[in-house]
Amino acid sequence: MNVNRISANNNWSSPLRMVTGIAVLAFLFLFPRFVESPYALHIMILFFLSTIMGESWNILGGYAGQYSVGHAAYFGTGAYVTMMLMQFRQIPPWYGVWAGAAVVVLVALIIGSICFRLRGPYFVLASIAVAEILRLSAMNLKELSNGAEGILATEIPPLKIGGVIVTDFLSKVPFYYTGLAFALLTIIVTYFIQHSKLGYCFQAIREDQDAAHSLGINLSLYKNIALVISAMLTSLAGSFYAVYIGFIDPSTVLPLDVSVQIVLICIIGGIGTIYGPVIGSLLLVPLSEGLRSNMIAQAIFKSGMVSEESGMGIFLRENLSHAHALIYGILVVIVILFMPDGVLGFMKKMLARRAKS
Amino acid sequence: MIIFFQSLISGILVGGVYALIGIGLTIIFGVMRVINFAHGDILMVGMYLTYGLFTLLGIDPFLSILITIPLMFLYGGLLQKIFINRVLHALPQNQILLTIGLGLIMSNTMMLICTSDYKILTTSYSSGSVKLFGISFSEPLTISFVITFVITAMLYWFLMKTDTGQAIRATAQDREAAQLMGINVKRMSIIAFGLGASLAGTAGALISPTYYIFPQIGSAFTLKAFVITVLGGMGSVIGATLGGIIIGVAESMGAVYISSGWKDVVVFAIFLLVLLFKPSGLMGKTRM
Repeated sequence: MNVNRISANNNWSSPLRMVTGIAVLAFLFLFPRFVESPYALHIMILFFLSTIMGESWNILGGYAGQYSVGHAAYFGTGAYVTMMLMQFRQIPPWYGVWAGAAVVVLVALIIGSICFRLRGPYFVLASIAVAEILRLSAMNLKELSNGAEGILATEIPPLKIGGVIVTDFLSKVPFYYTGLAFALLTIIVTYFIQHSKLGYCFQAIREDQDAAHSLGINLSLYKNIALVISAMLTSLAGSFYAVYIGFIDPSTVLPLDVSVQIVLICIIGGIGTIYGPVIGSLLLVPLSEGLRSNMIAQAIFKSGMVSEESGMGIFLRENLSHAHALIYGILVVIVILFMPDGVLGFMKKMLARRAKS
Repeated sequence: MIIFFQSLISGILVGGVYALIGIGLTIIFGVMRVINFAHGDILMVGMYLTYGLFTLLGIDPFLSILITIPLMFLYGGLLQKIFINRVLHALPQNQILLTIGLGLIMSNTMMLICTSDYKILTTSYSSGSVKLFGISFSEPLTISFVITFVITAMLYWFLMKTDTGQAIRATAQDREAAQLMGINVKRMSIIAFGLGASLAGTAGALISPTYYIFPQIGSAFTLKAFVITVLGGMGSVIGATLGGIIIGVAESMGAVYISSGWKDVVVFAIFLLVLLFKPSGLMGKTRM
């Protein structure tokens, strides 16, 4: 299974793939030039954010096989450090992001030293417990984090390089490019991990810890490396989210829901693959945004499946906008029961079957 | 000193209900080796069931458990038959994610049906209390503790003395050997999940007069249930009973002597310490 995965991604240098890759990149770079709608940009930014979160979890969960359900800890810590530095110390976020990442590395090493002594379900439970402790601390340390009130960003200082204002963060475009850059960064990091000795060690640990150990792989060292990389990238996502949305509180950046959502992006897309989280985000972000803005309800009315005035129509119009978490749940159940390798794995299998027949 | 005993007593009273939640989770884990992340959401369903019976039919929450127990048993059995049975041999993480997904479906469906407003179930005795030796016993908590005690005793009897109970214990000890002895393992799994769900649902019914009722309450109890079962030793009913009481006392002591905001941190800290230093729990060796 493992060998297949590696070789399937090895033929990336084939001309067709390169052309598609360059076309996609060019499209993404030029997108804000052609599309001015802030809403479209917003959706793209959420897509990048979700990709960053998914790819970062994937390094620990997908490659090293350590199912952390506590990644909100790193997301939230990154968000809090950046936000606290910006609001309380007037340190601009483009420094704060790296301060956040540094703090998260420390936190990750502490969490790793506790949780990596445990395996399987116990590791999952410990990772949740640690994230919950962080959330409760953010709630209770009021003088440090404003507690349940959260932190509201009043203004983002403009980014200046050598006295020239590069951007003032007033439109969504600078956020778009920052998100794109971070998303590409996480994908590149994942690519290099998959094709390096480090990645092979991770995958050996995932497939069989004891066998990997007997081959001389230092389990706790490699698990901690995977965790640190994964946590650092997750904290980038957290900081980016905090600055973009401009408001954080313990129940939006540190709850169990965020951790679960991060895992779902990967599970639905396909774990342990470079493009799985991208596919997962591509499916989940438009779906949840479409539901939230009632676009999907409108589409159902337009298609004529349900009339808007009927009882069913009113029910859909009123409730579909709150239903994205429900749809997530249904998707997970379907994916686990029928496509255990995620949507990407499922598509590959279908393609292979078609190629055979 | 009065304060100490007061918080000890209220901790034990709450702990009884916690024990019920923990026992449900531990039975499911013992028989299926599946960690049920939807446990708190099942409890939430039980709370709403009780709330519905109370507001629509006027049935007292403590009496309504006679209806809640069989209904939740059926519900749990169906969940097992339709979903969990299919992933018994899958990777543990996939089992966990499946139950997370089921939990999401439960809490969000409930939100669509009942909105996310906080609901309060007020009975004539909701805020009543009895003073004994200078310590006040909250009426709803005391009644629920007594009911918990009776249910737990019946459960022990069921598991130890009846044929089905022994078959469940055999399945928990060794699934394959149990199958070779002619035990219908799939049926035992359904019964075990049904039992777990009805215990969680009963706990939900018992706490509904004292807690706010809202669709998202589940995850807090799921986490508590994990702490309780790990503390007691996964799969051990006696351990879960002890674990429930210990967590109840730790919470109420934490709220009194540290602060109510930090009481959950105390619980999670105990959890991590147990995981690190005695991962098999207090009663890890004796399974069920």
